[in-house]
Amino acid sequence: MKPTSHPHTWAIIGASGFIGLRALEGLHDRDGVTVRPVVRAAASLAVLARRRLDWRIADPRDLPALTDALRGCTVCIHAALGDPFQIEQMATIAYQACAAASVRRLVWLSSASVHGQNPAPGTDESSPIHDRHLLAYNNAKVRAERRLEKLSSDGRVEVVRLRPGVVIGPRSRWLTDTAADLRANRAGWLDEGRGVCNSIHADNLVHALRLAATVPAAAGHAFLVGDTEPVTWRDFFLPIAAHLGLPATAFAPATPAALVAKREPALAALTQSRLYQNLGDRVPERTKRLVKALAAAWPDPAPAHDAWTLSRPPASQLTLEQTLLQSCSWKLPHTKAASLLGYAPPVPFAKGLAASLAWLDFAEGPR
Amino acid sequence: MIAPSSPVAIALVGCGSVSRLFYQPALRELRRHGLVNILAVVDPRADARNTLAAALGAAACTTLDEALALRPELVVIATPPAMHRAQAEAALAADCAVLCEKPLAAISVDADAIVTAASRSGRLLAAGHYKRFMPAHRALKTFIERETFGPLLDATLVEGGKFSWPAATDSFFQREQTPGGVLLDIGVHTLDLLRWWLGDPVDFTYADDALDGLEANALLSATFTSDANIRLRLSRDWRTENVYVFRFARATIHSRVNASNQLEITLEGLPMTLAAELREPLPGRPAPPTRALDKNPQAFIAQLVDVCAAIRESRAPFVPGIEGAHALRWVEACYNRRTPLPLH
Ligand SMILES: NC(=O)c1ccc[n+]([C@@H]2O[C@H](COP(=O)([O-])OP(=O)(O)OC[C@H]3O[C@@H](n4cnc5c(N)ncnc54)[C@H](OP(=O)(O)O)[C@@H]3O)[C@@H](O)[C@H]2O)c1
Repeated sequence: MKPTSHPHTWAIIGASGFIGLRALEGLHDRDGVTVRPVVRAAASLAVLARRRLDWRIADPRDLPALTDALRGCTVCIHAALGDPFQIEQMATIAYQACAAASVRRLVWLSSASVHGQNPAPGTDESSPIHDRHLLAYNNAKVRAERRLEKLSSDGRVEVVRLRPGVVIGPRSRWLTDTAADLRANRAGWLDEGRGVCNSIHADNLVHALRLAATVPAAAGHAFLVGDTEPVTWRDFFLPIAAHLGLPATAFAPATPAALVAKREPALAALTQSRLYQNLGDRVPERTKRLVKALAAAWPDPAPAHDAWTLSRPPASQLTLEQTLLQSCSWKLPHTKAASLLGYAPPVPFAKGLAASLAWLDFAEGPR
Repeated sequence: MIAPSSPVAIALVGCGSVSRLFYQPALRELRRHGLVNILAVVDPRADARNTLAAALGAAACTTLDEALALRPELVVIATPPAMHRAQAEAALAADCAVLCEKPLAAISVDADAIVTAASRSGRLLAAGHYKRFMPAHRALKTFIERETFGPLLDATLVEGGKFSWPAATDSFFQREQTPGGVLLDIGVHTLDLLRWWLGDPVDFTYADDALDGLEANALLSATFTSDANIRLRLSRDWRTENVYVFRFARATIHSRVNASNQLEITLEGLPMTLAAELREPLPGRPAPPTRALDKNPQAFIAQLVDVCAAIRESRAPFVPGIEGAHALRWVEACYNRRTPLPLH
């Protein structure tokens, strides 16, 4: 028998993902909250199933299924991620499902990238956001927030938007991608990593999620949330390299590559185009996947290798997202979250990173 | 493998992912070669059974009894493990041979009961540990037994990755229906291989990360009479290298998971690695390259061919049912000795 739901059950949509899983662990194991993971498919339960939980299987873009899955929950944390088109669609459906299932509050995981990866100094929640970013993800996050603001004007569901930056912790792609790049001898940095990394340890984010779900005054607001310390990319990168037994020189000075910078907006332009979006669900999932795969597989103009070419490690090439992130010079403040929510990040950056590296050893084996 | 003289009449029980993805293409191929005649598929879910029945040109049966009435010679059981015992016993009682998917049963008591039922009926019982048919695994067995590269010193096996099997329902993740996680799911194959290569373990320790549910990560450390130390890490949580590394006195061998006909061999004193495809043996004279040995799906087919041949030749199959019971018993012994893994 599965345990029955507590009257105050919190649903977590996307509970199999990096942040969803961490939220589930923190809220269920540490805070004793009754959580209901909502995942897309049975296969998504593989890690969640370490605990006996009252889960539901529902696609976050399927309104009737999601509504059913949310019934009986007072709070819904939305930690699912799709492609840009899906992100916007998920916002609408999450709101409608919460309203139909009488969920009191929807905590929407937005992103600091609504301000861009390299926000202007002085940026905070009061800064206007726009949907003309180079990255489609940013624009989708902006539009999703706008949709939620508009929808929640009917007062049926309280919406709280959280805007974390670079989330670090076990299973964080920022950590695992960096380690993979270092191992493959293709890690690079801009300006020796002096740019600001708007980091937040996953457990600090879970702390924010808990407050966002419970503090009455949070309703209707968006909050930037981050670690306490100012962190540079260097502060993040160097301990990873050291952990892998590599010196700082493992990061090659990288120049932002022109093609990479062109490719992402090209895909963005396609998937964000009015035509593509108007097609909506009429674009078969297979076609969408194909478009995505094509864009990802678009060949870089690497020189052809033949027997007359000496092999050498691939050059460090930053993606547009990395380039923008590493050019950042502004630590986004979380003053609003501190004063309105009582947000006080419990995990110091260095401690959180060390714990994440311990997980990396466990998951991928010590090197 | 020897081809049976007349097609073996088969009923396939369970029309889930393993039947769709593995048995469907394998049985079609065997029928093309005149080795099998697919009489029936069985599943209570109409969709699943009708689709598979149409794909295989077989009768769609709701119950096993309906299929048994068609008098198959071999019943292939590919249902959730908790159903294996009742279905195997029914098939054996109806004088059919049985090939049962891994794990042989949900619990070892049931596995033992199936083995007993088979020996009582005198019918063939094979365990679906098809990985023994992979040429790389057969080569490793030879290297270990003959000490081709000296004695085995130790081995590190890492296997798994983010779970991606298209499980149709969540029963796979519910303790009541599936009493184990990654160890029971993919680990039962690896434990079977370890037993096949090295015999029963002398001692072992086991840890996993299940709380009150099913483990997603597991660590096993075992010693065998040969003194070799074996470390096995399994995951359905995170990517692994998916490789078995065997350190012999004079060579280190990497066997990539499911790279059925490949081995990477690093000989002591040779500063390079031979990445080898395993092929039919070359004669000791100038000759063109020979045919590559079985890839993963072909190894799966090889087990079915062996079972059909064993039926026709009235001999034991290459992987008899009792081997499945032994592997499952080791899985259970692991769970009984379980210590918790840190959750990070
Ligand atoms: N990671 C960061 O650094 C970061 C930073 C800022 C904001 N965020 C935001 O935080 C949220 C969670 O991010 P994450 O890093 O935890 O993402 P993630 O690891 O990729 O997990 C997202 C989950 O969404 C689920 N999902 C549902 N529908 C999907 C679809 N159509 N396509 C793909 N996945 C789908 C998937 O779970 P199942 O399919 O198994 O159900 C997946 O596990 C997102 O909204 C993201 O924008 C993340």
